[in-house]
Parts: sequence; C-alpha cells; structure tokens
Amino acid sequence: MSIMQYNGSAVVAMVGKNCVAIAADKRLGQRALTVDMDFQKVFPVTDRTYVGLPGLATDVKTLSDRFRMRVNLYRHREERVIEPETFANMVSQIMYERRFGPYFVEPVVAGLDKKNKPFICGMDLLGCLNYANDFVVSGTASDNLFGMCESLWEPDLEPEELFETISQCLLNAVDRDAVSGWGAVVHIITPDGVITRDLKCRMD
Amino acid sequence: MDAQFAVAGKDFAISVTDKTAASSIVKMKHNEDKTYELTPHTLMSVSGEPGDTSNFSEYIQGNVRLYGVRNLQELTPSETASFVRGELATALRSRRPYQVNMLVLGYDAKAGDASIYWIDYLAAMAKVPYAAHGYCGYFLYSVLDREYRPDITLEQGMDIIKKCMVALKTRFLIQYSDYTIKVVDSAGVRVVSMDDI
Amino acid sequence: MRTATAVAAPIEAHGHNHWSPYVDNGGTTLAIAGEDYVLVASDTRQSDGYAINSRYEPKAFVLSNNAVLGTSGCVADAKRLCEVLEQRAQLYQHKHDRQISTPALARLLSNTMYNRRMLPYYVFPVLAGLDSEGRGAAYAYDAIGSMERVTNSCFGSAETLIQPFLDNQVARNNQRGADPERLLTRQEALKIAIDAFTSATERDIYTGDYLEIFIIDAAGVHKETRELKHD
Repeated sequence: MSIMQYNGSAVVAMVGKNCVAIAADKRLGQRALTVDMDFQKVFPVTDRTYVGLPGLATDVKTLSDRFRMRVNLYRHREERVIEPETFANMVSQIMYERRFGPYFVEPVVAGLDKKNKPFICGMDLLGCLNYANDFVVSGTASDNLFGMCESLWEPDLEPEELFETISQCLLNAVDRDAVSGWGAVVHIITPDGVITRDLKCRMD
Repeated sequence: MDAQFAVAGKDFAISVTDKTAASSIVKMKHNEDKTYELTPHTLMSVSGEPGDTSNFSEYIQGNVRLYGVRNLQELTPSETASFVRGELATALRSRRPYQVNMLVLGYDAKAGDASIYWIDYLAAMAKVPYAAHGYCGYFLYSVLDREYRPDITLEQGMDIIKKCMVALKTRFLIQYSDYTIKVVDSAGVRVVSMDDI
Repeated sequence: MRTATAVAAPIEAHGHNHWSPYVDNGGTTLAIAGEDYVLVASDTRQSDGYAINSRYEPKAFVLSNNAVLGTSGCVADAKRLCEVLEQRAQLYQHKHDRQISTPALARLLSNTMYNRRMLPYYVFPVLAGLDSEGRGAAYAYDAIGSMERVTNSCFGSAETLIQPFLDNQVARNNQRGADPERLLTRQEALKIAIDAFTSATERDIYTGDYLEIFIIDAAGVHKETRELKHD
C-alpha cells in the first residue's frame, strides 16, 4: 500500500451552469483502522474558491495552513482577493517547490472567477496542473469517481442538479472503496454564495 | 506496545496511559508517567520511540510554558495541539523525525468545553471525542464506538475507561498491571487512583 | 548460456524478468439480470500492455444451452475455460439426455474453476442465462470459483469505473425512496449497459472498439453490436 492510500480520501469537483461544486469524504484512518469520521479535506480559500486536499493527512493540514498564509499575504500585497486560476498556480508552485520530497497530496481547486466563470482544476503531487471543463477527481476512490462522473455528469447543470449529481457520484464511488467514505461534505459555489451540505451515508 | 487512550465529555477529558517503560522484552520501570502537563488545563499523553517521547514532550512542555510566562496568557488546548503538530510536522521532514504518537487533552476555560486532539507520528491531527494509539486502537475503538455518548458524565466516562481496560485484559496479549489515569476539567489536571474507579 | 556482455534479444518481460504464465488482456464484461431476460455486455478490444492485439476479439461466448459466458482477464485461459465448460455441458447432455440448466451450469463452472485451485484460470467470468422459472439469472465468480447469483456485476479493466455506476443505477444504491428490488426493463438495462461502456471507454485505455451485447430470454439469444471509441 502506497503512502497515498495510508489515510484514505476521495475528492471531486464539478462544473455547472454559472456554478461549481466540490465534495469530499470525511474519513481519516490509519490503513484499515478508522480514526475520525469528521476529518475535513476541503477548505475555503476565498468566498468563492475552495481547495480539496486528498492524500496524506499530515500534509493536508500542513498545506491547508500554508495556503491560508500565502493567500493572506497575497491579499495584503495586492489589496485584492485571489482568483481561482491564480490560486491554482500558487498551489502548483508550492507543490513543485518540494519536487524531490513532495507533499503526498493531489489537490483539487474549484471556484468562480470575477466574471462568475466556473474554474476547476486538479493536480498531481508535484504540482502538474490539469485543467478541466467538466470534472476532476482525486484520492483513493478516483477510479470509481471517474466512472461515476463520466456517466452522470452533463453540461449546464443548475446548482441543485449539480448538488444531486456530485453527491451521487461521491456516495456511490466511496461505497466501493474500503478506505474512504464515513460521511461526506458538498460545497456548491454560486454567484450568490456557497451552499454547504453534509451528506448522510453508509458508515462501513 | 504502549497503552494510550482518552475519552472526553462536555466539560472533562480522561487520559489513560500504562505505567511500563519497556526495553526489548524487559520491563525497566513500573511507575512511568507518560503524560505531560503543558498548561494548567492541558495534558499531553505520549507513546512511541523511547527517548523521542520524553525529548519531544519536554521540548513542547518548555515552550508552551514559556509562552504562558512571556504573554501572561496560556495557550488554549486547540492552540497547543496546533503548536505540537506544527513542531512535529517540521521535524517529520528533517534529517531525523520524532516517532511519537500523542493525545492532547484540554479544558478551554473561555469556551467551557473539553477536547481531545489525536496526533500520530506523521503529525496528522484530528479533534475527536475519544481516541487511542497503537495496538490499543484495534481493541478499544469498537468498545468506545459502542459505549460513547456525547453527553456522558465523568462517572460514565470512568465506566467506559473500565470497560476499555477489561477489553485489553481479556483480548490483548500484553497485560498491563497499572495505569495512569488523569482527568482534565475546569479545576485543572488531577490524578485518579486505579482504586477509585 | 548468455554472458553478461552479450546483447540480450528482446524478450517479453513480465514484471521483474520473472516469467509468468498469466497475461492480463484487459477488457471489461458486465451482466444485468431482469425479470424475464438477462443481459451480458462486453467490449471487444484485446490488448497486451500498451499493444492492441485485436479490435474485434469477442470475450463473451454463447454456450450450447443458450447461456452466455462473459469473461475478462487472460484470453487464453478464458477460451480454454469456455471449451472445458462446453465439453462438460456436452457430457451432461449425453449422460442425462437433457440440456444442462443455467443454475446447474453455474455450479459446474464454479467446480471447474475450483478444480484448478493451485494454478487457477486467470478469468473473472459472469455466466448469464434463464433459471428454471424463466427468470434472468446472472452469476459472478472470482478466479478460483467463488460464486454468487447477482442482479448486476462487472469485471475487468474498467470494473472500478463501471461497478459503482451499476450499484447506483441498477441496484439503486444511495437513491432515496427508490425500490432496490425493482428489476430493470430490457430497454433500461440496454441503455445503462451502453452508457456504462461509452463512459468507461473515455477513461480506460483497455476498454473500447466495439461493444457486444447479448440479451437472453425465452426466445433465445439476441445479439447486438455497437461501436465504441477506437482510441
């Protein structure tokens, strides 16, 4: 078992019509032993940009703290709020900084830019950006998520439809993965604000 | 091979650690206290590589206390846990990382609630209502999952602790003869005798 | 004996230069059982590593008793397993003077595979046919003959992509208020099988080219072929 599977995780982001969604499971484990069922892997960066960090739990914490610091510095220096695409490049840079001793996390960025255009992107643990205009998946259940998203996602989903789609994708994906699940959280980012919902799901 | 677990109620947290200091197959000590008082309302229990445990814990204890003296303001449990994690995470990617698992238990006087922070040797941290480290986890999480309720009293908390000890006694290969039991609440940290529970 | 200085001829290396009797030829097979029919769908790509051996090499086989054996894993083993199963079905016919039923064939397949417990057929089969009451019956196996009657199942290289989708759309997992016992109609099953494969083909490099769908009912075996992406 690789270090990427040590704690278990599943993160997915999707584009809708003038909205984006990002969802993650809530498990923290040590291989097969579940330790926490309320471990957050998705963090708000700004009011309309979120980042999901599936992978090794220690790096999830380290990175979320680092991102917060860098985003705050950006706001002070630039006197403006960071755009999702700029943030994605910042994340990429922070990841690549550790090229030969990487953080074991494959981040997912989702947000709306200043023109309310949806932006999502994924990354590998070295910071190689992967832009998408449909969905990105990451974590131990990524294969399952690919199968679900590829068949359930469609263009121009309204926020509530997007919520249903991303929820179904995540829940059914984690049900076939032994090391992720145990609760889930979904954030729907719209121009009017963010809707956050916790999902009730199988706890096994 | 250490026993280390904890349970938290609304306004108290109970820490349990075994008292053995082992070296290979030999019990070197029968009265080792594996907990460290970081602030008057924060307790940290440790397990892992002998030497690393005390070295890291004393470093943390010194700095957390120094913060209190310098700022006339003690760190809250969540701040303490964050500091501990940060130091461990920095050390993790150094030439020689510390191999220590920790539970940070605390009572936050301002918020009026108790909490447990689970931190493993990789510096992964989680705020949890109950926790265990090492082999203990394989035996005790099932007991804790079944017995724990968020609104338990201190007495009910002690009952759960007793059930955990019974589980270890009946099913774990290693026999622990004695435990350090400590309670953290609004009054601070106090030791509870094995005979009193 | 080859010396250290000699230039090694290109040989097929499996893993760390240890020869292995098994090859994974990729590809995916699924089955969906309904009230009076059962559906088997599989792609027709056959590959070895990054090489495509064939774009049309079916891996679902119609057996003499109108059951369909869908396979995945090692093609050589799959074909041999199919032969053995057919032979044993023939023996059954001669011995009992009647065609073997699908449930009996399902058990026979399990036994045939467990017979090779120590050097298994590297095949993950699904067997589909009608049971004695005329209901659709699908059986899923592991490589050593562990058997389960299922309403839906998927094996092969796109198994991780398709199985969660079938859980959701066929077994209706995580759908509040839906009846998990309700079986799919033929049209629904066909639609879901095609959807599953077109989606899997997008992300799995070992699945693609053509899709063969067998629908088995009281009238017999009906075959349909669809084109999948060739990339």
